[in-house]
Amino acid sequence: MRYKIAKWVMQHRGLSTGFFVIVTLFFAAGLRNVELKTIFSDLLPKDDPFVQVFKDHPNFGSPLTVTIMVKRRGGDIYNTETLAKVWKMTRDIDLAPGVDHDQILSIATEKARYAEATPDGIDMRPLMGDHVPSTQEEVDAFKSNVEKSPNARNFLVSADGSSTLINATFIEQRLDYGEAFKYVHDLVMKNQDAHHRVYLAGQPALTGWVYEYESEMFKIFAVTLGALILALALYMRNVVGVVTPIVTSLTAAIWGFGFVGWLKSPIEPLLMIVPLLLVARSFSHCVQFTERYYEIYSHVGDRVKAAEITMGVMMAPSVLGIFTDIVGIFLIAIAPIPAMERFALFCGFWAVWLIPTGVLLISLLLAALPAPKNVDRLVGKGPQSLFMRAFKAVLVFIASLTFGKRARVTTVLVACLAVFSTYEALRIKIGNPTEGSNLLWDDSEFNTAVRQINRNFPGINTLEVVFEAKNQRDPNRVDHQADTVMTMLALQNLIESAPNPPRATLSLGDYLMEGNRLFAGGDPRWMPLDPRNDAVNAAASAVLMGSSPKAFSNIIDFEQQNGTVTLWYKDNKQDTVDAALAEARKAVAAVGTDHPSFLIRLGTGTIALQQAMNNVVERFHWVILLCLNVVILLGCSFAYRSFVAGLILLIPVNLSTLILGASMHLMGIGLDINSLMVASIGVGVGIDYGIYLLSRICEEYHAHNHDWGRTITASLTTTGKAIMFTASIMFIGILPWYFLSSLKFMADMGLLLVLIMLINMVLALVVLPLLVYLIKPRFVARKDLLVGEGVDLSMYASVDDDVAGSPAVAGAYK
Amino acid sequence: MHIKKYDFNYGRRALLEKTLKGVAGAGVLAPLWPLIANGADTSKAYPDELTSIEMYTKGKVKVGDVITAANVDAVKDLLDPIAYNQVKTMGRKITIVKPTTDASKLFQSGYLDATLRNKGKAKFDANGNIVTADTGKPWIGGNPFPDAKTGNEAIANLTLSWGRHDFSIYAIRDWDIAPTGETAYQYDFVWAEYNATGRTGKGGPYLPGKEDILRFQSVWFTSPQDTAGTSFLNTWYYDQRKFPDLIGYLPAFRRVRTFPANQRFEPLVSGVTIFLSDAWAAGDPMLTWGNYKIIERKPHLGAISANWYGGRNANWERPVHGGPKGQTFFDTNMELIPEVIVLEAEPVGYPRAPVGKKRVYIDVRNQMFVAYITFDRRGEMWKSFEPGFCQYIDGNTVQKDSAGNPIWSWTHVMTHDIQSNRMSRFVQAREVTGGYKSAYDDGGQDVYSKYLTSQAIQRLGVG
Repeated sequence: MRYKIAKWVMQHRGLSTGFFVIVTLFFAAGLRNVELKTIFSDLLPKDDPFVQVFKDHPNFGSPLTVTIMVKRRGGDIYNTETLAKVWKMTRDIDLAPGVDHDQILSIATEKARYAEATPDGIDMRPLMGDHVPSTQEEVDAFKSNVEKSPNARNFLVSADGSSTLINATFIEQRLDYGEAFKYVHDLVMKNQDAHHRVYLAGQPALTGWVYEYESEMFKIFAVTLGALILALALYMRNVVGVVTPIVTSLTAAIWGFGFVGWLKSPIEPLLMIVPLLLVARSFSHCVQFTERYYEIYSHVGDRVKAAEITMGVMMAPSVLGIFTDIVGIFLIAIAPIPAMERFALFCGFWAVWLIPTGVLLISLLLAALPAPKNVDRLVGKGPQSLFMRAFKAVLVFIASLTFGKRARVTTVLVACLAVFSTYEALRIKIGNPTEGSNLLWDDSEFNTAVRQINRNFPGINTLEVVFEAKNQRDPNRVDHQADTVMTMLALQNLIESAPNPPRATLSLGDYLMEGNRLFAGGDPRWMPLDPRNDAVNAAASAVLMGSSPKAFSNIIDFEQQNGTVTLWYKDNKQDTVDAALAEARKAVAAVGTDHPSFLIRLGTGTIALQQAMNNVVERFHWVILLCLNVVILLGCSFAYRSFVAGLILLIPVNLSTLILGASMHLMGIGLDINSLMVASIGVGVGIDYGIYLLSRICEEYHAHNHDWGRTITASLTTTGKAIMFTASIMFIGILPWYFLSSLKFMADMGLLLVLIMLINMVLALVVLPLLVYLIKPRFVARKDLLVGEGVDLSMYASVDDDVAGSPAVAGAYK
Repeated sequence: MHIKKYDFNYGRRALLEKTLKGVAGAGVLAPLWPLIANGADTSKAYPDELTSIEMYTKGKVKVGDVITAANVDAVKDLLDPIAYNQVKTMGRKITIVKPTTDASKLFQSGYLDATLRNKGKAKFDANGNIVTADTGKPWIGGNPFPDAKTGNEAIANLTLSWGRHDFSIYAIRDWDIAPTGETAYQYDFVWAEYNATGRTGKGGPYLPGKEDILRFQSVWFTSPQDTAGTSFLNTWYYDQRKFPDLIGYLPAFRRVRTFPANQRFEPLVSGVTIFLSDAWAAGDPMLTWGNYKIIERKPHLGAISANWYGGRNANWERPVHGGPKGQTFFDTNMELIPEVIVLEAEPVGYPRAPVGKKRVYIDVRNQMFVAYITFDRRGEMWKSFEPGFCQYIDGNTVQKDSAGNPIWSWTHVMTHDIQSNRMSRFVQAREVTGGYKSAYDDGGQDVYSKYLTSQAIQRLGVG
């Protein structure tokens, strides 16, 4: 069948070329719709209850707020210089593009107030007057005002007085993250001086950093792509050998990007390392295809016929190799994370496009392009370099470990390694808690800022317990009802009195109690609220009088129907997260989740969302691997017509996954979303090495008269070279990301991919032949395998020269 | 017909020239104010292109047409940019009505009389306050500068008398529309204004003993129940350099709360987009703002007639349309105003103001604003404040004052925060919750004690 296809394509080269041109133009037209965009909420698992709460109440947890901390070095903020700086920065941040002018809060804004009860009523004044305190008396008065304002003391000025915060919230539909970040970051940089450190945190800042680094990503992409092409040129040393992989890979890339362009599905830039892996994969595949073509061409002496034979010979193993890649990538989508689902679609189809381009288009190109002059060198005729001889010696040595007496030792070592790796891998923890964001390096400016803010203020490690109105248009606004507020306060009390309490808690109830105290005359004994609707409503009216609900958007929504109890924790280590969630669950159960006018939902905030990510990893890490094994087992068993073949291929890649897991555990790295993807790709793409080698073993087995030792040695010394080249290409394509990327997420993925591909390569070269030797499977002896690469070229050779003796060509071309 | 004598662009060129000269008064073909004083047709002061929308748009729009996204470009330069965007992108519609040529229909009659009576008697004192030229005392009523030629003169006309009545009480029904088009808040409240100086009615221009006060103004909420009784009192000094005193009252606590005097850029209650600073496009004492400049004189579309619904709705409420839920905008009638002053000013007296500048479009005939926009400090548009005015005549239904003249007042206001896309719109209703009705004179009552003292606001709106 495959040979018929090959023949037809070569007989209709014009038509076939026309097909590729039309399809490429079609997909190229879709390129204009391609959008590279990080949608942060799409990085979260959509079916997780925490994520659902987050999506239903996106305003809680301040996702649109940037926080700037101004820290006075060696002193406190109560001096003219620092206060003037805070005043100016507060005014300047109001000029940030997309900022909500109603939601800027610092000690210099009118919204930061203190209140005094007077004989006539309540006098509420800004902490700072209409100008920066300029005399010591004014500075002292300002400090005294801060002391009178519990909110300022807790949330705007650090306990030691050395730091203060400026918060600015942006309007979502007007927010251009890149533009806003540039403005705010410039502001922060400008205000650093000998006496002040200024730190910038908050979700818009994180997004800004990611966007900033994503622009750097294109440079790394260009560098690695350039390196790949250079490696190709150095290896092939002829135009055809360079042009063919580039054109083929470029066409697949146009199809891949154009496809998602037509679907208008944004591409997640954080995962762009995977397309590079596909480019590398396409390059290495093309090189092997081209080399085989040269080999056949050197025998048959006819470009078109050589291309036809190569296509027929390479079609099945190529499709099988790409099939496993496709499975590995598509199965990532099992994890219900929208960004990964979209990415699996993008990369999965890109991998699908490698089949027509990497089998048909490449053959058409090879048939059309002039043959290079260095074919003989490329097919290994003539003298070999010292390096090649040494390289071959290494491969011969590796081969010798897998059969005969040495195989026993190797078997014991591999078995020990397998047991140890399994034991260690199963102990790996879920999650890699980072103080700040694990998208960025620990010492990044953003994570440093987060650490500093966490050190001086309640911080950003929050768990939000959401009070959700059953009727979003309740005429008696749910946030003004006694049951809501009293339940919030009860929940806070329970959690605060439990073991491992949070650093701070906040709800509308706190503001209402303070309002109650002030409007009742200022005596602290008036703080407790009367548990009646009218009393609670009165306190709410008092607090909100003369201000917008936006001023409280961190704890209530604009319509005052939904609210949250915010709990701040000291860190986001897994123990803290587990304890926080456990206590919160207990407290929520104690106050009851279902109330007449609202439901209590746990929860959102950084703590809950971190747990959501951990949950998805825990739920799907092994499921994805299991599904991958099943699908690949079926596919490979069919291709080799042997269940044993499937098992022989899967054992090394699964062992690689275990070794990687064990290594991560020993290095203190936990499983996260990165390892989820890497494991899937590691098996799907990593198994290619095994397929190359096993196919070769099947061919060499006949050529070496069923001698296992010679078969394995011959296979490793020939296909081992291809495997090494593929591995090198992968290294060149991926490893630079680890060193060059400012995004830890990408760097980590690069490192893990390199590691898994390296382990895969070693195990393919050692464990797979070892297994073959130990099992001595019968399918190796069959000549009707789908993946057989053998062909009798004597039928085509114009001048036959040792064709029959060539182990690589002994086989069936029917 | 002037069309034969003057080419099509003559009117616009003349207005531009006047703006550049910076001193000219209203009118193109003739000075406007002698015509108003004589009760003549004010259109005689302008070429036809400035009095006929059909001529102005070269036939693309005529009286009776509805401006929609399809034809709004023909009148783009006759609308403020926010109104244009509302029509172009949010489904707003505006009906064009015939222009008003009798200036007396643009005034409360007593106010027009005072304006004519006192014309030429106002001047600025050394501090920038408006005084009566011969006595040096506070202003004596009507527009102090009926033919305003400078920015300060124009803002003085707006500031010294907001509603153009010595006393008025407005029963107001308000809806605050979320970006989704849903109603986020709905309030009934009452707004009372009581001028202490510059009075036009019987009893002289000043309230005895209150010559240092410009006005008292209170607002109290009557619905929904959770807000009822919340009230505020603003006491404006005549000296326009001084901030008004602002106190609030919460009935549940029986406590008065004093607000910082310069807190002018916050809403009074949750959900509304209006700041105190926005009231009447002159919500702050005029000398707390500065850099007043007339940047342009131009024709404009304004809602200055045929906007009262008293004949069609017993409570004077009006239909709505547009926006995501078909309720973001009030139905509005607009007409071509031949000449508006476009005034800009900056909040120089508010070092923490989030507003960068305001731009006010003022009809030169009655010196009342027809549109008002604020910009943030980046220079980006922030909010619009678009009022409707008219004589209270709707078909055969007429609302008259005690002298038997048709009431002239505002009918509705739309305030659109285009940055957060929230709309507050409210009507002057006949009556709101609590039984409060709109009224335009004191009816012989001691309205000061009843509505405009600290004690008074503690009684209002409750029960």
